[in-house]
Amino acid sequence: MQFLKTRPGRIWTWVLALVLGFLLVWGTQHDAALYHDPIMRVTQVQTGRRATMTDDFHNHDTQITQKLTGVILNGQHRGRRLTISNTYSRSRAMDQRYRRGSQLFVVIHNHSRSKLTATAKDLKRDTTLVFMIWLVVALLLLILQFSGLMAFLSVAANGVLFYIAILINGSTQGAQVLWIFGSLAVVFAALTLWLVIGTNRQMLITLATTIGGTMVALVIGLLVFHFTHERGVTYESMQYVTQLPRPLFLAETLLGSLGAVMDESTDIISSLFALKRERPELTAGQVFKSGRQIGSTIMGPLINVLFFIFVADTFPMAMLFLKNGNSWGYTFTMNMSLGVVQSLISGIGIVLAVPLASYLASRFMEKRVIK
Amino acid sequence: MSAITVLGLILLILMILVGGKAGAQSFLALLLNFGLLFLAIVLVAFHFSPLIVTLVVGLLVLALTIFMSSGDDLSSTVAFIASAVVLVALVCLIVPVEQWGLVQGFGPEDSEDLEGLSVLVGINFVQVTTATAILSTLGAIAEAAMAIAAGLSEILQQHPQVAISDLYQEGILVGKQIIGTTFNTLFFGFFGGFLALFIWFTGVHYSFGEIFNDKIFVSEILMILFAMISVILTVPITTWVMTRAVSRQRRHPVRSTDDQ
Repeated sequence: MQFLKTRPGRIWTWVLALVLGFLLVWGTQHDAALYHDPIMRVTQVQTGRRATMTDDFHNHDTQITQKLTGVILNGQHRGRRLTISNTYSRSRAMDQRYRRGSQLFVVIHNHSRSKLTATAKDLKRDTTLVFMIWLVVALLLLILQFSGLMAFLSVAANGVLFYIAILINGSTQGAQVLWIFGSLAVVFAALTLWLVIGTNRQMLITLATTIGGTMVALVIGLLVFHFTHERGVTYESMQYVTQLPRPLFLAETLLGSLGAVMDESTDIISSLFALKRERPELTAGQVFKSGRQIGSTIMGPLINVLFFIFVADTFPMAMLFLKNGNSWGYTFTMNMSLGVVQSLISGIGIVLAVPLASYLASRFMEKRVIK
Repeated sequence: MSAITVLGLILLILMILVGGKAGAQSFLALLLNFGLLFLAIVLVAFHFSPLIVTLVVGLLVLALTIFMSSGDDLSSTVAFIASAVVLVALVCLIVPVEQWGLVQGFGPEDSEDLEGLSVLVGINFVQVTTATAILSTLGAIAEAAMAIAAGLSEILQQHPQVAISDLYQEGILVGKQIIGTTFNTLFFGFFGGFLALFIWFTGVHYSFGEIFNDKIFVSEILMILFAMISVILTVPITTWVMTRAVSRQRRHPVRSTDDQ
């Protein structure tokens, strides 16, 4: 890592990152052999008929037919040319407009020797994905160096744990979803804090705050659900549900708030430890007070982070509801209410973590912090 | 009363108990942000350009979030300018990537939810999805910019004569401290929202090849990556804006009476 700080070291890292990025992009553009489904590269596009249409709600749209000529890149038909027809709309909500050079998955229908017929299935997107992951990792390493690497590693480790948990959930038919992700939350938090802080008293206090804050918020949420009989909580509007929606929703909320509560308690507790190092004469009461002060400035922005993550995602569907003649109220209930409930429960956890972190830090910090 | 009202009231009371006036202000900012987000959706439904609506709403959201939480004048101003610069940089990145990946609108996984809805509504969904990606990162940009600006402003208070080049190093150092936990906020925030989708993928036995090219999956992962990039970029940009502001103050010391 010392080498990175020198000038030639920096230049070499940049060059290496660029070459690696180029290789990754080139590689995924030529990886068609890895896929089972036939992939076609478009070499020529002819735009054909346009048709204007109006739906029941007076929305106007245009449908355009294009003829795509291209070459199959893999499988038994590799190297064969074919022409397929594809229809897309001006709004393109469910269809695609392909360009010259696009690679797309096709479904081949007719195996007659003279002519192949096929339909377009979907665009090949792995190049975009790999390029963006490369961009994130490169920026992390170049700007934040070692800390960036650690941040990326902790996200990657959590990603692997997440995948394992989903597999376990699948093998139990989703009956235990809340328990699986609840216990996983503890593992997630412990692993992340170990990577960020290390194993010491500070880490234990942060872990206790994180778990405590998240759990209490969830319990408050459940109590409110009980007393309001879940009025306005529209589980039927949840997307992609393949199992019982209620425990799934609670597991989502638990995971969603965990990261933010952890972020906040790390901030508060590490500031308090630093404060105590600088001024060991502070009493527990004074430490608690400054913890509350630090916490109250960061809790608002953090709740905001989660709010935008949970609610902005519903933009396309909410807009579609509005364009289909639904009222504002119904659009809100069917698309955004669950995200808002999630933000509110997470918000409660974030706010509760402030006094919890301040109290635990002020009581259990060693009398003299050595470091 | 509905569950949302009760939860909202509990949050308001807790925020006032913990944060006092600042807590009440943050709650108000949250409400206004929701109003702005809903306004953006309604405006786009009325055929205003999604990108222009997003830029305007985005700037308003950043201003609200940053200026309505307690912070000194210098750090709030620096945080706002920096986050606005990050927002513009992010738009320049998101627009071409969304055009390239074509992850707009809905996928085959959505067909059940789309039953009975007309999808040919004449609004460009590439732009709508771009707007969604930009909006979902706003909170993260504001939070990171405020954290860096506040950290630097504290250093300036303790060492008012710190050299500009040292200040830049300090900014990156503050960034290194927050990046690990901020990434986890983003990771858990997004994955909390996508849990159902990922369970769907394993339940329906998608192959890895199908998942990595799936419209919805790629669109969601891109959103996480955009948010991460915005946070990474916030670190040097906020530090740079702060060094500019400080060196300007030092050249015109008479005008800098407000934050001493």
